[in-house]
Amino acid sequence: MRVLIVEDSLRLQKTLATALRRSSYAVDVAGDGEEGLWCAESNNYDLIILDIMLPKRDGLSVLAELRRKGNDVHILLLTARDTVTDRVTGLRAGADDYLVKPFDLEELLARVETLCRRAYGTKQTRLRIADLEVDTLARTVRRGPQVLDLTAREYLLLEYLAHRRGHIVSRTEIEEHIYDGQVDPMSNVVDSAICSLRKKIATQGSAPLIHTKRGLGYVFEEVAVAPAAP
Amino acid sequence: MISIRQQLTRNLLGAVILLLVAGIGALYFAAREAATDQFDDAMSAKALAVSTLTFRTNEGVRLDFTDRFLRGFDDQKPRDFFQLWDETGREIARSESLPAGQALPRNFGKPERPAKWNFTLPNGRPGRALGFVFKPKSAEPRRPASAAPDLQLVVASDRDDLDDTLWSLLGSCCGWGALLIGATLWIIPRVLRRGLKPLGDLGEQSAQIHADSLATRFEVAQLPEELQPIARQLNELLGRLEQSFERERRFSADLAHELRTPLAELRTIAECALKWPETRDPSVDDDTLAIARQMEQLVAHILALARGEQGQLAVRLEPITLAPFVETVWRRFAERAQSRGLHVTLKINPVEAVADSALLTSILGNLCENAVDYAAPGGDLELTVSREADEVVIVVANTTHELRADDVPRLFDRFWRKEAARSGGLHLGLGLALSRNFAQAMHGSLTAELADERKIAFALRVPARVAPTLLGSTAPLDVSASA
Repeated sequence: MRVLIVEDSLRLQKTLATALRRSSYAVDVAGDGEEGLWCAESNNYDLIILDIMLPKRDGLSVLAELRRKGNDVHILLLTARDTVTDRVTGLRAGADDYLVKPFDLEELLARVETLCRRAYGTKQTRLRIADLEVDTLARTVRRGPQVLDLTAREYLLLEYLAHRRGHIVSRTEIEEHIYDGQVDPMSNVVDSAICSLRKKIATQGSAPLIHTKRGLGYVFEEVAVAPAAP
Repeated sequence: MISIRQQLTRNLLGAVILLLVAGIGALYFAAREAATDQFDDAMSAKALAVSTLTFRTNEGVRLDFTDRFLRGFDDQKPRDFFQLWDETGREIARSESLPAGQALPRNFGKPERPAKWNFTLPNGRPGRALGFVFKPKSAEPRRPASAAPDLQLVVASDRDDLDDTLWSLLGSCCGWGALLIGATLWIIPRVLRRGLKPLGDLGEQSAQIHADSLATRFEVAQLPEELQPIARQLNELLGRLEQSFERERRFSADLAHELRTPLAELRTIAECALKWPETRDPSVDDDTLAIARQMEQLVAHILALARGEQGQLAVRLEPITLAPFVETVWRRFAERAQSRGLHVTLKINPVEAVADSALLTSILGNLCENAVDYAAPGGDLELTVSREADEVVIVVANTTHELRADDVPRLFDRFWRKEAARSGGLHLGLGLALSRNFAQAMHGSLTAELADERKIAFALRVPARVAPTLLGSTAPLDVSASA
């Protein structure tokens, strides 16, 4: 899951980014409204955490501009404005959620997680493919009885593939959702990550779940084995 | 509670009803007088007829008058009566209508001013009589009438018709009077209600104004002339109230924002450290300290501002030679100005001001810091000290591309910054508000002027001379301001 933080307080920006990265999100940050709008328009985020009082362009105007252009990305307003009017204005402008500063970090993470889950149209916290189970709350993966040991990035990739199961997912999509702006887009990080993930989720005798569609990308699904001819 | 409408209604009704009663009463009495006069005239004509037809002869008195001549005097339908006496009171003649043995009361005036009175007729009906003494004409032309003795005549008439007329007149007057009073009672409250409606509307509209609807304005053009000045004043008052409410609301919201952001930073830092203790970043300690300092500065500024607004600032005025003073303050910013490529011009005339050195340092520091930080890169910065009459004027001006004319009145608002957002905590947006307070505490002023939307100039005026009683009034103040 890739998240954009638009926040003018550098310290809060830094701490939030750290907290989200440690919770296995790919995070980009922007310090003002214009930069935030530019990032939101040029990348495909699962969620934007948006402050309202921003230099150059305020958060509500960024929100309105994104919605005007038909961008449906989930937006969580994070602001010091706490009156009911402010909240109603924010939500009516097209925000999906509203959190007032100072906030509880756990609550913020829970809301981020919920909004990201909603981005893929699911309310389930456990995603199952064949005998593989991704627990998005505990951030653990099991294959059968065995708990798999994945890195944060591998988990992120697997969770994204699980959310998009049955669909062809292109390398660009994976890059956009799994890697933040710190990763060089020209590298073949996606291929190597997929390769590494395949090895980790493969157990003895189990069917492969990640399939390559040449020239298109990858599909994460359980392929039924054709019964042997009599 | 006094109601103008009720009071007006009551007073107007009282006055109009009184006038109506008086008018109708006067009308009645005038009509009554006229009817009585008419009755008397008719009676006089009858008396004149009797007296004219009475002659003195050698044998005595001859009356050529018969009751048939005037029908009221006969005994068929007796309505008029007369009785004639000679000067000794002996009856000479009487009308047929007057039964024998009964007499009319005797009371006489002159023919031109006869005596008139009401009485009860011999037949028991109400009557009116007229009596006078006259000299009858002589039947013989050679004998002058003046030599003849006087005769006494009383003529009376039945007053019944007159009384009927007067009673019906009184009835009509009372009837019309009651009708008019009824109409007045119905019309006046309605007319007043209609006439005073704009006043009532104004009152109602005013009653509906509360803290959340200060944007309401009265439609002055649609109000009657008398209410327009009131509405205009109310509109002005509402405008000022709205502005000050808005400023207070913004201040509270801004203060909440100023406190919430560092609190959120602190809380997130602490929660991250607790959640992931093994991956602790040592740089967060610097952040924590910076946040604490920022909040401390904020509290100090707000306290100073509150004290200034309550007039509790401790001010010690003393003569200050401005040239070295201003140069010392400027030295702190010279390097920063150079690094931003600003063209700095200092024009410091040798003048002396009377000011509090701590407050003056704070104001100058704030103005210089703002100028250095907000001047357009590579722009001009001018610091001028001069004397105008009894004041010392310190002007700090810099080129700007961001400010507009409508920003100027808000420059001194607490927490106002051109950018609504707060970044870095370098400028709290309280410096100018504080500086203006400090300037006022030193009996001076701080104003801003924007020339061509390109150059913003802040002018600090402090007294060049001051009355000796103001010197050294209170203890020095330990506060410094930065924007």
